[in-house]
Amino acid sequence: MFTAGHVSLAGRLRAAKPKDPAMPKEIAVDPALTRRPGSIELPPIPVHAYDRPFAAERAARGDAALVDVLRHMLLIREFESMLGAFKAQGAYAGISYLYKGPAHLSIGQEAAAVGQALALEPADHVFGSHRSHGEFIAKGLSAIARLGEPALEAIMAGHQGGALLRAVESHIGGGDTRARAENFLLFGLLAEIFMRANGFNGGMGGSMHAFFPPFGAYPNNAIVGASAGIAAGAALAKKLLTGDGITVANAGDGSTGCGPVWEAMNFSAMAQYDTLWTDQRRGGLPVLYFFTNNFYAMGGQTRGETMGWDRLARIGAAVNPAAMHAETVDGTDPLAVADAVTRKRALLVAGRGPALLDVECYRLSGHSTTDANAYRTREEMQAWQALDPIETFSARLVAHGVLEPDAVAAMKAAAAETIRAVTAAAVDPAIAPIVDVHADPELIGRLMFADAEIAVPAGEPVTLKPLGEVARIRQDAKKARFGLSETGEKLSAMRAITLRDALFESVLHHMAHDERLIAYGEECREWGGAFGVYRGLSELFPHQRLFNSPISEAAIVATAVGYALEGGRALVELMYGDFIGRAGDEIFNQMAKWHSMSAGALKVPVVLRCSIGSKYGAQHSQDWTALCAHIPGLKVVYPATPYDAKGLLASALAGDDPVVFFESQRLYDTTEHFHAGGVPTDYYRVPFGVPDVKRAGEDLTILTIGPSLYAALAAADELQATHGLSTEVIDARSLVPFDYAPVLASVKKTRRLLVVSEASERGSFAMTLAANIGRFAFGDLVAAPRVIGSPNWIVPGADMETTYFPQVADILDVVTGELFPEKKSNRRGVRGWDELDLARRAL
Amino acid sequence: MDVDILVPQLGNEIEEAQVDSWLKAEGDSVTAGEALVAITTPKLTMEIEAPASGTLKSILIPADELAAVGAVLGVIESA
Repeated sequence: MFTAGHVSLAGRLRAAKPKDPAMPKEIAVDPALTRRPGSIELPPIPVHAYDRPFAAERAARGDAALVDVLRHMLLIREFESMLGAFKAQGAYAGISYLYKGPAHLSIGQEAAAVGQALALEPADHVFGSHRSHGEFIAKGLSAIARLGEPALEAIMAGHQGGALLRAVESHIGGGDTRARAENFLLFGLLAEIFMRANGFNGGMGGSMHAFFPPFGAYPNNAIVGASAGIAAGAALAKKLLTGDGITVANAGDGSTGCGPVWEAMNFSAMAQYDTLWTDQRRGGLPVLYFFTNNFYAMGGQTRGETMGWDRLARIGAAVNPAAMHAETVDGTDPLAVADAVTRKRALLVAGRGPALLDVECYRLSGHSTTDANAYRTREEMQAWQALDPIETFSARLVAHGVLEPDAVAAMKAAAAETIRAVTAAAVDPAIAPIVDVHADPELIGRLMFADAEIAVPAGEPVTLKPLGEVARIRQDAKKARFGLSETGEKLSAMRAITLRDALFESVLHHMAHDERLIAYGEECREWGGAFGVYRGLSELFPHQRLFNSPISEAAIVATAVGYALEGGRALVELMYGDFIGRAGDEIFNQMAKWHSMSAGALKVPVVLRCSIGSKYGAQHSQDWTALCAHIPGLKVVYPATPYDAKGLLASALAGDDPVVFFESQRLYDTTEHFHAGGVPTDYYRVPFGVPDVKRAGEDLTILTIGPSLYAALAAADELQATHGLSTEVIDARSLVPFDYAPVLASVKKTRRLLVVSEASERGSFAMTLAANIGRFAFGDLVAAPRVIGSPNWIVPGADMETTYFPQVADILDVVTGELFPEKKSNRRGVRGWDELDLARRAL
Repeated sequence: MDVDILVPQLGNEIEEAQVDSWLKAEGDSVTAGEALVAITTPKLTMEIEAPASGTLKSILIPADELAAVGAVLGVIESA
């Protein structure tokens, strides 16, 4: 290229400037400002600052409310004591029952739960932990106290068609609406803990996953800290959709060691809520991180042993300049807690969230019923026993003349009688029926998915400017819809609609016509996603509809789940599928399970786009479809053509179920070669679960997952030309669900099956397909189904990739060497290894 | 001295780009670093800056045409 007096230089690049002055993001990084010397000032973080005299509380709240605080604590204490008695002695109040499930009790922490709920409105939603019976009951009792009687009657009559209410009325009673509602709450929870059919969640949730949305009691969670991200996402829904109330993320002190909790707190404090968003309810997310700090994370001590903080509230200072308005409060005093929650709630409602409370209290019971308290001293337990919130609060009520000592004793007896009556009903299978899986073996299976879709979003598009003013849309409009010319030449990705463009079209349709849908992920805005799928979208949608998230994969997925649980719809992106591990719990336990654990009451319309890379080696090129397909509750698709990509993404965005949507980076520039007429301009859906015959044939069936389609098609050409073998190539398209019928029909004809996928073979979905088809089509096959995947070692660098991902030659070797031995010729592929030996070594 | 304006390597999988518009006409004087030509790849839209100061001597690939990575978009006669 070099000649004398002539140089060739690649021009330096810069991003094309946004043309619309309303849209550019201008947060200049000024070196003069950021390099100025100084020090960081932290706001003071109050510790046990509550000092309101009891008389003032009494005047403000009234005696009846104060008595109810005690009553609510007594009900929680008695409820949990009952569970503890069943676990320890198999009996409570003369009722024998073998309870086999978990009982993570919060005895001693009742003031934290009741104080919190005292400050919350019914529309405020609390998300719990594995130790949240108390918070659930407290929130329910608080909502019952605040909701009008007609609303309560409607809620009870509407749940399970009134079945739960009828059980309560027939077997427990309760008199007036509120009394019946309290029994309804306690019975619905206990039946759920016993996993009975008329538990709040149909017996699918249990102790650690109970919730009842009408009272604002949202899912508890068996995973420590998992409610943080979900509550943040729910707060996003409150900010954007309902404008009503706040959310509370209940977690323990131990959860401050969990990365996803940090991610959630930062996500709820992102500066862009103030700097860039233009929604009606300005400011940070209205979420309160309520840490019930009982000083122990099971047996490890947070302060002094496992954490670096001296005071839990200190961590607020790490999150934002407001230090999350953090405070340490006395969790043994329900009024101190209520005071703090009231003040934090006001900040959240004013758009100044998020907030953090470090609520110090003490778990007088063990972590679980197998806890021998080996990690703490008798003296310490006795010191805190003296601060038992029920005893101390009772004493204050008596000391100030609110209650007579006899009245306290009577209240304890009444709480015991209430719990006894509820328990007697809940243990009785005639009142709280066992979930009868024997009679209906597929009952739980049917709860895995909603399998419902919204109507096609229609109406005037809601965008910042007309679609025709977006350069990308104008450019795409000029492109051919089919990727082959009349003479069969492949058109350039600049001249025909690509898989990337096809995805964009479905996203655009749903985003423009359904304001409940929000999209986010790393680099989703100006960059248009790392691979340009969203290029142009930032011109059309404000930040609250499409935003750059922090590099917080756990928070990306968890917030999407919380947003969806509250009635929103979320499209989120993990740049590379290899980052699924960073959001493992959020994808595998949260996104996948809330529909089924709620017996279908909750829906999780979340689409998680994950690209599968190549050329970037071992941690950026892995096909992890099988990981997701393995998890019950996730739908998994992996389109390989633009037509399928557009239609499947439309189905994903329309569906009410969580979907992991895989995309191959190698296929983003692929144009449409199959669908007659090319990719339709109009909106359409391709249903999940239907494998598609991409090439018809008679002698052999090759079933492919993802980009292996193209290797299989090239191999089919060569098998026809060289060996006279006619190959049927079927693109799986979906992994979950998957209809075997088209493949079985094909195999009935061809009698031979090869499954090709780029995933590591061991445990891959290709193996699952081969095993099932081998079983379903055993009589039709003349050879065992064969799988070609990638070997069970790391994805090598770019120049070695053809030795790793199945290539045309690898397919030809297997077809001619094994499925048609008479066609055997010299091996051309790299796979010269001893299969049995590799299998033995698990390679 | 003539300086070529090349289509840069824009990513592993990108093979070509479309010229959206030339921001300068042939014969215009240009300053190194000045935005010269807007291009679009399947992934993104960007502006290429003048690699040298001088005069835009020739535009070899006009607007709306495709240019392969490494192709010469135009030539600057440097001052």
